[in-house]
Formats: sequence, structure tokens, C-alpha cells
Amino acid sequence: MRRLKMPQVPWDVLSSLTVMVVQYSLLYMIFAVPLTLSYRTTKVINFVHSNFVTYGAYAAILLNGLYGNRNMLLAAALAFTVSGGIAVLNNVAVFRPLDKKGAKPVALMISSMGLWIFYKYLLYTIIDLATYFSRINFVSYPKIVYEWIPSLSLGSVKLSSSFIATSLSAAAMIAGLYALLEKTNLGRAMRAVSDNPTLSEISGIPRHMVVNLTWLIAGGIAGVGGVLWTSYAGSITPEAGDSMILQIFTVGFIGGLSSLTRTCIGAVLVASIENYGITLLNQFFGVETSYKPFLTFITLITTLVVSPPLGAGGGLPYKLFRRAGRSA
Amino acid sequence: MVSKSIPIQLIYLIVGVLIGLAAGYGVFSITAPPPGEAPVGEGRTYTIGFTLPLSGELSSIGKIWEKVTRLAIEDLNNEVKAYGLNVTFNYEILDDETKDDKALQNVQTFAQKGIKVVVGPAASSQVKVVKAFADENKIVIISPSSTSPTLALKGDFIFRTVGSDAGQAKALATLAYQEGARKVIVFHRNDEYGRAFADFFINYFKDFGGTAASQPYQTGLADYAAEVSALAARVQSEGFDAVVLVSFDTDGANILSHAAESAILSGVRWFVSEGPHGASELLTQSVGEFAAKVRLYGTRPLFIANPLYAEFKDKLKEKFGLEPAVFCENLYDAVKLAGWAIIRAGSYDGDAIAGALVEVAKTYYGPSGWTMFDEAGDKAMQDYGVWAIVKTAEGKYEFRDVGVYERGSIVFIEEAY
Repeated sequence: MRRLKMPQVPWDVLSSLTVMVVQYSLLYMIFAVPLTLSYRTTKVINFVHSNFVTYGAYAAILLNGLYGNRNMLLAAALAFTVSGGIAVLNNVAVFRPLDKKGAKPVALMISSMGLWIFYKYLLYTIIDLATYFSRINFVSYPKIVYEWIPSLSLGSVKLSSSFIATSLSAAAMIAGLYALLEKTNLGRAMRAVSDNPTLSEISGIPRHMVVNLTWLIAGGIAGVGGVLWTSYAGSITPEAGDSMILQIFTVGFIGGLSSLTRTCIGAVLVASIENYGITLLNQFFGVETSYKPFLTFITLITTLVVSPPLGAGGGLPYKLFRRAGRSA
Repeated sequence: MVSKSIPIQLIYLIVGVLIGLAAGYGVFSITAPPPGEAPVGEGRTYTIGFTLPLSGELSSIGKIWEKVTRLAIEDLNNEVKAYGLNVTFNYEILDDETKDDKALQNVQTFAQKGIKVVVGPAASSQVKVVKAFADENKIVIISPSSTSPTLALKGDFIFRTVGSDAGQAKALATLAYQEGARKVIVFHRNDEYGRAFADFFINYFKDFGGTAASQPYQTGLADYAAEVSALAARVQSEGFDAVVLVSFDTDGANILSHAAESAILSGVRWFVSEGPHGASELLTQSVGEFAAKVRLYGTRPLFIANPLYAEFKDKLKEKFGLEPAVFCENLYDAVKLAGWAIIRAGSYDGDAIAGALVEVAKTYYGPSGWTMFDEAGDKAMQDYGVWAIVKTAEGKYEFRDVGVYERGSIVFIEEAY
């Protein structure tokens, strides 16, 4: 601990920090909203979610490294297909058969952990092969600079092209999901399945098709998040998604794994706590920046205690609240 | 539903499998060689264990090391044949995910297999965790890259084919001070390596008359933008004139690429440890331009003007198309030393091999230079070079050794920026 002193965060640090918080908020939204979306329809606490992000990022990286692609739309399209495809495949090959056999949510979660490890090492194998044939080191890859995306300067505040791309993507995701869920029959069917799977099936909704589509959209969006990550992070490794899983789940849990709006609020909250929090603590109280994950953990634990996600929690506070009639 | 009558074929099958297993086990236990050493024909086969970071934080280095291991074992076998010895070395690589407990598990697995010599693990924090088990069970551990001065201990089974960072911290402090830095902030990994390096650096730097503060960062994160931003705030508010970065490769590259976007951090000098040297992510245009702007220099352990290193570098390039990452040469020599020590020891036993290793290293010279160990089992003769990120004629960027640390001062041999 260093000495306490009067608050002083230079203006340009504060402004760039704010830009960073906004960018992280949007990124966390793009990572975590699909997690909430998939959970509320499928009831699988899905660890493969971190692979969706990593595979999306590596779709962009391999396109860039092997074919020199710097078009972000192309990368995003491929990432959406790859990650969305994996999500559907998981459902068809693993989650649905298990569900048919009457597997409990815990068993589904554990099987998703198995898949998580499988996909991680599969990626290492793919990268190894790519490295062997191309002689490019893909295990740790630098930030990709995409073309056609402008950057802006507002006075002393610089908005990078990655920031612009992330903002546009987040806006597109929110608008798209709103239109889908509120305005289309498919969206209504998705909401019906998440509210009551049995009832929805009885009323003639093709539940399995809806579940598969949900997986495709959820995996796809997370994959696109991975592409955005390649334009922002200083370096990308096959561990990228894994090392963000704490944040992604915290954001999802703040959203109760059920509300997309609350998930978005959670993204802003976690991004602020992590970035403003640690910079301020470091400046004013001499707290080491290495405590950053600790702040995230505290947020996660507080969320779990105060407002555990339905079904995932079920701990004491949840039951107490429920008895008191607070949580319907 | 269980059917009541089991088909007779199934019974035959089960009985057959059981007999097969029993017979197989019997034959195997009669002919099985003692673990670790196995006679092949009239010769002998030894297996050297490797615990390498094939995934996790150091995987970008680990993947290259895997190839260096293959090269080294191949060269070792050829050399042994050339001496007319009927000995073959095998290798078994286990991934430790750059994790401490996993490295220990791997060493325990090797111990169960009767393997007495293990090359790796990479990080000092891992070596620290492995140490007690290795000492107790007399497993010779040769780490090619652990540099923390806190592990420079006499009489244990830990050997390191690289010098302790007590030396490098002094070289880096000399470099920073000689380049005019007086008030520096050490931005370092919050692990065994980073903390010890920072402590030693700060002590030396204060001895020279400078002031130094430290700022540790958590390791294993996906991104370090927030940490870099906090660093910028401190640099600005406390008026540091240089940043000293003590990192591995991926985290270092990440930090430098974010620093390149910060006006504050582009306005102070940067000095870097050996970790990021060789990382291809540093050779991008933005980091390259940043390096030139802040006149970024790093130190790294090397053996000055070693023709064997040049030869090794070419071989790696030719065979695998790879530039040597950090500590590749130290790994190569660790494998060679392990092989010759096993042969010299006479008996396959931890004490004998440890003793032989010290003797073999006294007269061995390889890509990492003269490998003699000091009394703590670390490389005794360790030079330090100064590296920079230099723009080539074709407009690309490359790592170049531009200076050396000699008799307490830095001598530049070429102009980097």
C-alpha cells in the first residue's frame, strides 16, 4: 500500500478510460447476451460459450493469417457460421440425446464442461496444423487491423476503428434481437419455449427447431464477439474465451440468465467495476491492479447471494425470497 | 431388460478376452524392462520426461519448444551413435498448461514411470511447486527458463540452464540508468518471476541513485487494457520518466500494443525483460513504431557472439520454419546435458545423474554457450545482451541484439533507433 493522497486522475486518462469502459461494456454485452438467450431457452449452463468466442476469434485469425483477409464482415460471417454451427451440433449430438434420457440440468452442465475441454484442445490441434503448413505462429496472434472501418477523433477523445465496429455490432445485435423476439412469430415461439417448454410443445410450437435456432443465434453472436475481440485485444491466444469466462458468467448472472435487458446492465456494471474500479483504487488507495479479478469475483458472489439466477441458484437466499413471495 | 439366456458366443468372447488379458499381462511383466531404462536389442533406451507449457499462458513458446525438443533428441541420438554407444533416447512430453499443480502432477507421473530426469517446467512458479517432490524422490529437474533468484538454492535436484535474474536485473537496471532514466515504475507479472525480478531491479536501481516503484499486474488475463490505463494514470500523476516491463511474451505483447495507443505512455522510455523477446506479435507496425518512439530496449540472457547459436537458429529455421523463441537454446542444451549425464552416471539413479550432470556441464558448450553450473545449480557463465525492435530494409520489423552488458556497463554495438 502506498500513501493516501488527494484524488488526481489526469483528464486524458479519464477520457480514454471512459472510452474503454464503453467498449468493454459493449463487448461484454455481445459475449453475455447470447449466454442468457441460450440458457433461458435451453436451460443448459453452457461452458462451451467460451469456445464460441475463441472459435469466432480464430475464424478471423486463420482467415487473416492464411488468406490475408482484412474484411471484418467476411470474418464475422465465417465466425457466425462456425460458432453457430458448433452450438447446433452440440445440441443435436449431446444435449438433446441427454435430455431425452431425462438428464438433470447438472448433468447437462457437466457435459458442456466436457465439450469445453474437447473444443479447446481441438482448436490447439487445428492451430498446430495451420502453423505446420503456413509457418505462422497462430498460438499467440497480434491484433488484426481491419480495413474499411473508420476511426474518429472527438477533440482529445479518440475512438478507434475497433470501437466503431463494436458499437455498430452491439447496436445491430440489440435491434436485431428486439425485432426478432418482439415482432416475429419465431421470436414469440422462442419466448414461449423459454417460459414453458411443455406447454409450448402442446400448443404446437416445433420446440426442437426453435431450440436449434436459438443455439445457432447464440453461438453465432458470441462468435462475432470473438471477431470484434481480435480487433481490440493486444494479443489473442486459444485461451482468450476461457480467460473471460468469469466476466461473461458474472454478466449473465446479473441478468439472472433470463433478462436480456438486465444482462446488458450487467455488462455495463462489470466493465465499470473492472476498469474504473481498479484505476481509482490504484490511484487513490494504492491497491495493486492485480486485484482486478478479485473485484469481478466479489461482483459474482454478491450477485449469487443477492439475486441468484433462477434454477442455477436455488440456494438459501433464493428460497427465502421465494417463500416471502418476492421472486415470482 | 436383461435377457435370461446369454448367448454362448458372448461367453466365449468374454472368456477369450480374459485369457488374452491374462496372457498379455504375463508376457508383458516377464519381458517388461525396468521403468525409465529399457534394453532394446543389445543397446539401451532411456526416456527423458518433458513437462512443457503446450497450452495456457506460455503456449506460444511451448509449441516452439516442442519442436526444439524433437530436434535436440534427434541430435543427441546421432551424437551418441557417432561415439559408438548403443544407447537411444526417447522423449515423453506432457502438457502442464502453464499451471503449477499440473507441472507437479506431470513430474509425479514421470516418477511413477520410473523416469529420473525431467526437462521443464518453464515458469519459476512451477519449478517452486515441483521442487519438494523432486528433492524427496531424487528426480533431476532441468528447467531451461526458470530465472527467479529465489530458486537459486544449493544442493537440491533443481538445475537451470539459464542464469538467475539477479544478474539480468542488474543488467537491466544498468541499461535504464545509463540511458538516463532516474525515476522508473516497474510494471511486472504478479508471480514468482515478476516479483523477484522487480525486487532485484529496484534494489540495483536505487544503488545507482535512481528511484523506483513497482506496479504488479495479475497474470493470465485475456486483455490488459485496464492495467495499462492504470499504469498511464500513475505515470502521469507521479511523473515517472520510464517504464520497466517484466513480462512473458503474450502478456508483454498485449501490454505494449495497448501502450502504443496511449499518449502518456508513448512519452516515456520503456525497458523490457527477456520475456517478450522473440514474440512475433511484437513485430507489428504499431508496436514497431512505438518501440522506435520510446526507444525501447530489452535485456536477455545470451552468450555473446556464439557461432553455435547462429547455427542452431539456422537449423530451426530450415527444419521447422521457426525463429527461436525465448530460451530455445537453453532448452536444447538442457536436453543434451540430460542425455550425456545419464550416460556418464553409470547407474540410472537420481543422485548419480545429478552428480554427472554437474561434471558434464563443465565441459559442454552449446547454442546457449558454456553450460557450467554454479553451486546453486544455475548457469554460471551468463552474459546479457540488449535487444531492440528494428525496422528492416523491407519495412518489416525484427528483433536484433544491439548491445551487450560488460563489466558493469552497457556497450552498444549498433544504432537501433
